[in-house]
Amino acid sequence: MVKEECKALLDALNKVTACYRHMVLTIGGTSDSQNLREELKKTRQKAQELAVANRNKLTTVLKDKTVSKEDKAEFERLWVIFSTCLEILEIDMRRALELGHEFPLNVPKKHLIQTGMSGGTSGVAARAMSIQNMKYEAEHNIDVVDLKDLENEINQVGEMMYEMEMKVNVPQWTVEAKQDPGAELKSTMSVGASSIGMVSVEENKSFCDISKVLAGIIFSAVLIIAIVLAVCVVKLS
Amino acid sequence: MTIGGGGPRGGHPRLQMPCLRKMERLIVSMQDPDVGIKMRNQRLLITVIPHAMTGNDIVEWLIQKYGISEEESLHLGNLIVKHGYIYPLKDPRSLVLRPDESPYRFQTPYFWTSTKWPATELDYAIYLAKKNIRKQGDLIEHEKDNYNLLHKRINHTWDFVVMQAREQLRAAKQRRKGDRIVIECQEQAYWLVNRPPAKNMDHYKREIEYCRKAMARTRVKSSICLEGYLKFNEQYVPHDPIMSGCLPSNPWITDDTTYWAMNAATATTPTKLRVERWAFGFGELLADPLGRAQFLDFLKKEFSAENLSFWEACEELRYGEQSRIAAIVAAIYEQFLAPGATRWVNIDSKTMERTLEGLKTPHRYVMDDAQMHIYMLMKKDSYPRFLKSELYRNLLAEAVIPPETKKRVFPFMRKQRHSSPSPALLLPAGDAEAKAEDKPRGPAAAPVPEEEG
Repeated sequence: MVKEECKALLDALNKVTACYRHMVLTIGGTSDSQNLREELKKTRQKAQELAVANRNKLTTVLKDKTVSKEDKAEFERLWVIFSTCLEILEIDMRRALELGHEFPLNVPKKHLIQTGMSGGTSGVAARAMSIQNMKYEAEHNIDVVDLKDLENEINQVGEMMYEMEMKVNVPQWTVEAKQDPGAELKSTMSVGASSIGMVSVEENKSFCDISKVLAGIIFSAVLIIAIVLAVCVVKLS
Repeated sequence: MTIGGGGPRGGHPRLQMPCLRKMERLIVSMQDPDVGIKMRNQRLLITVIPHAMTGNDIVEWLIQKYGISEEESLHLGNLIVKHGYIYPLKDPRSLVLRPDESPYRFQTPYFWTSTKWPATELDYAIYLAKKNIRKQGDLIEHEKDNYNLLHKRINHTWDFVVMQAREQLRAAKQRRKGDRIVIECQEQAYWLVNRPPAKNMDHYKREIEYCRKAMARTRVKSSICLEGYLKFNEQYVPHDPIMSGCLPSNPWITDDTTYWAMNAATATTPTKLRVERWAFGFGELLADPLGRAQFLDFLKKEFSAENLSFWEACEELRYGEQSRIAAIVAAIYEQFLAPGATRWVNIDSKTMERTLEGLKTPHRYVMDDAQMHIYMLMKKDSYPRFLKSELYRNLLAEAVIPPETKKRVFPFMRKQRHSSPSPALLLPAGDAEAKAEDKPRGPAAAPVPEEEG
């Protein structure tokens, strides 16, 4: 189904964009390294491929006149999500360029900011590229060499967005979100673990647990009493 | 860089504010392994995170690096923290620098305050969605309000917000524990700086005032505005030395200073252009010292010279020294405003009342109303009469048009153009180097010849 394919492509682009932003956050800090710059390069190239694929698919669908009204609304919604994703990608690419210029890696006089990070970003990059382990094969001065490519790619993305705006006429305000406020809570996300170990530890969680445990105990006690009574009744009768 | 103007979409043409650039440089200089701040480790329950420093360290380092007092160093440190370059670890919501053992850490460059990359609604929405997921719906009051507001405002991309929030959290899980904590702290600090919790009533009152004033501003149609601009240019073009040339000759080109001598404030016979210029507007007349003197003469004949003197005294008050304000105000009152004053000015009763009230607390602008009244009086009444008067017409008739200096027929007789003597030669001790440099230029630095007489 075309819709599922579009959704899958969009999810993939979304994932890569999130990973790219995560990596751009670490430029200039102590996690910065030649490996990071290579990861950035590979990730954004993948993002661009996905963006082109998305655009082609969505434009063919939106140009198709035989699509039903609900489907069209759905595709327009996907289109708006796609264009926002691309905007964020472009902004992150520009920031990566600027930060790359400001924090070159091999210059001894320019120091990286000691942000408190100590690990690498290879896990994030592997997630973005959908592979198990990252292989690093670039030269040792990729941080400088890559910036030219980055400029060109930013121009390409800019042109693509301009073309998209000109060719496809989807007014953003006509799209309504499917999710209500708070929809993200309904997903099965187990991200609470990160709050442990933070300086300001929340005590709320423990209270909730205690009340749940108490309820469990009371329930099981009532159940046991009921069983005992039933056994007594059976025995006596 | 080609990115700035880049492509049909246009780039981000804003520049980074200079004060922010200075702070960035300061932060980078703190990172120096030799002379920068010394780092400690932050110990949490299980994890140890490096690169923490105490407030004391920061203050001491600033004192030592810039040689400033403790008070100034504290102020500087506070500015850095308020702008988000350093964030506190113990009490993240209060962005102050405490000169004690409270820990601080540097912010990652992506999250530095920047006028080039302002914090967007979309990013804030993604952050709130992430926090919502992490805290299972337990957001702070103002964050809840902002969340609902944003849901309404950027409703069309809300699905994207949710998708992106989930993915960013999943991406963060790929890092090790310590880094994850640092990233959360960084993001929280960034949004505390860029979306501070509550704005007090004053802020909204000021905003309302500002918007009201903006609405009340007079607006002129651009066609009228441009007509006025054209008229101005037409009127002034003959007076512009570059556009219409200046007579006798441009001193910068011919080294002949007659032009300046003739147009000086102390010249006896003004040039025709200068006298014509006085007719353009009252301001022009008053701006030219010679014009002002002529106007004073005219007013003396009309027995209203005290107006101009009063105006001049008020100008002295407005632009004079702070220490002399009380004295000047007293002098003005005695001379011009007191009931039996020698040079009493004719101001209407309301303005006089207000001025006399204001005299009790004299300040620089206490005479503004009266001064404006007298200025308008002169402009509407005396000035047109001056322009029609005998005095002015005589001045216009007697005004001189300086002849243009004759150009030499033979090119080689023309005066050599040369630059004025190098200031290095005028130095008392002077470097030998500078003198040696000037030697080739020496012969050219001859004094102004008296060829053009």
